[in-house]
Amino acid sequence: SEMSMDMMPGPYPRTPEERAAAAKKYNMRVEDYQPYPDDGFGYGDYPMLPNKSQYERDPWYQWDQPDMRHNWGEPMHWHFDMYIRNRADTSPTVVPWHTMSKHFFIFLGTMLAMFGLGAIYPSYMPVGPKQYPFNDLYLEKGGDPNKKPPPVIHYEI
Amino acid sequence: MASAPPPSVARLYRPNRFVSLPAELDPDTYDTSPEKRRAEAERLAIRSQLKRQYLLQLNNPSPPAVIEDPALIRWAYAKSQNVYPTFRPTPKTSFLGAAYALGPLLFWIAVLKAHRDYKEKRIQEGKYKRPFSVFF
Repeated sequence: SEMSMDMMPGPYPRTPEERAAAAKKYNMRVEDYQPYPDDGFGYGDYPMLPNKSQYERDPWYQWDQPDMRHNWGEPMHWHFDMYIRNRADTSPTVVPWHTMSKHFFIFLGTMLAMFGLGAIYPSYMPVGPKQYPFNDLYLEKGGDPNKKPPPVIHYEI
Repeated sequence: MASAPPPSVARLYRPNRFVSLPAELDPDTYDTSPEKRRAEAERLAIRSQLKRQYLLQLNNPSPPAVIEDPALIRWAYAKSQNVYPTFRPTPKTSFLGAAYALGPLLFWIAVLKAHRDYKEKRIQEGKYKRPFSVFF
């Protein structure tokens, strides 16, 4: 492409002149431009935009790219591919987040506790050993047909 | 005796890290100061310049095959080729690198070894019935 190296992202800007030049390079106002903190993570001078997904942008505005809700030349978020409309959505929720998480974790915790207790202390109706006919299935279990089978009595009179 | 007034809906909502505040509860919506208006006007001026450049290329009688978006090129460059020159080993990055690279490896080594030792102990004691499977 015809872009020169000074239009590409570079290292973290240190002086105010570098910040102004970087803001102009990214088509942003100097007051809006805020680079990521210089922690050595590899962001360089890329601007830190608010973490809002593309869902939150106005659906009725005439964007240059309507499916991405993005204009030509507008600086893209570092995690732009996460914030597209098929993926993460940061629109405001109807129910506050803390209420949702409280409800969810209380339900999950209760269910897990009940299942765990049920596994440790199982309870069922009392059962006895199964009673089979024909002398406890003597011939089916491979007993000798010529020998007299041992008598099995399941009742008491 | 009077209790405190009910908490405002904005405070009930509690701004959090994952989703944004609705526009009605965000104080920025009701900010009509001249500074904000001037900022909006400057942003609109930048936007209109960019839109003019884009439309000139788009409505060109012999348009280029692909209208390149410099923002997209910068984004791709920053994420792929600008990471290595701007990376710097600090205590935080070295710790995180070791944690993400070696952590799972050592964890799974420990788990699998412990499980196999336990199985071997049970085989030696005779408590383990080997499964008879023709698949593996």
